[in-house]
Amino acid sequence: MIETLLEFSQSTGIYGFMNSAWGWPIAESLHFVGLCLIIGTVGVFDLRLMGLAKATPLKALHRLVPLGVAGYLLNVTTGIMFLTTAPDQYLFNPAVQTKLLFMLIAGINMLFFYATTATATRATPALAQAPLRARVIGTISLTCWLAVIVCGRLITYYRPPYHWYFWCQ
Amino acid sequence: METFARFENTPLSIWFRESGVAFFSTLTLHSLAMGLVVGINIALGLRLAGFARSIPLQGLRHFYPLHWFCALLILLSGIGLLIAYPAKALTNPLFYLKLCALSVALLLYRYFQNWMASQDDEINPTPHLRRLAIIMLVLWIITITAGRFLAYTHWVLLASHLS
Repeated sequence: MIETLLEFSQSTGIYGFMNSAWGWPIAESLHFVGLCLIIGTVGVFDLRLMGLAKATPLKALHRLVPLGVAGYLLNVTTGIMFLTTAPDQYLFNPAVQTKLLFMLIAGINMLFFYATTATATRATPALAQAPLRARVIGTISLTCWLAVIVCGRLITYYRPPYHWYFWCQ
Repeated sequence: METFARFENTPLSIWFRESGVAFFSTLTLHSLAMGLVVGINIALGLRLAGFARSIPLQGLRHFYPLHWFCALLILLSGIGLLIAYPAKALTNPLFYLKLCALSVALLLYRYFQNWMASQDDEINPTPHLRRLAIIMLVLWIITITAGRFLAYTHWVLLASHLS
């Protein structure tokens, strides 16, 4: 697994870029910009679902979400750059695994939202409370994205091989 | 440097630096607050710049309390990080770039806040305000980039360890 990821990184030029003088911090900066885009679009939409800024119609706020998707794609790209350049530091890191778990929950939560609640939610007029299910979905979503930031920050702290948790064996 | 070295040897600085929980919780709080402040600024900046014009600008004023609470958290956690490694930040020009970009971006946010308070419900940003909104978004990118590069560009980590 580690060899395959490293081979991919080297053959695509990612490894060379990431090991250049400023490659790693540039990727880190882009990663955080992407995360802020998610918080500024999906997170703000989640806060409205939860009941903040009720004067803002949900349908209008939803127009920001495509930019959140752009932020997400930016983060997947830069995340792959980190993972493939130093796979041993990420694959066995409990903070990375927890971060990926929260991203998975956020993803399932979003699919559930679009499958069950999005139409009714978009029809919610300004000053009205979003449906209860949408409020729960918004709370789960924002919690997951904030947890993603926390786990991302803790990656350095749980760098292997000093922290080998049972689920990393 | 001697002042930095003396400060680094105070019990508070040592605690912030050597207690893993204190340092990483401060760092995590700093990132969380940054994410929320920049996120809210992005939403306002994009709307003022002309994106998603169906969003009523007055509706975004409800985010002000959360925004300023998180800005306060950035300040407090930033002071905590500075207490842990004063020489690392204060001897790096990027730290001052981050501080300037962040301060101007927050002042611009405050300016937009005041401008919106003086308008009625149906408001449209002028071209001048749109330009300022784009400048604010660029300033946040500079703040984030300078913050990330701080970890890679310092020439002193601890003044007390210099021989």
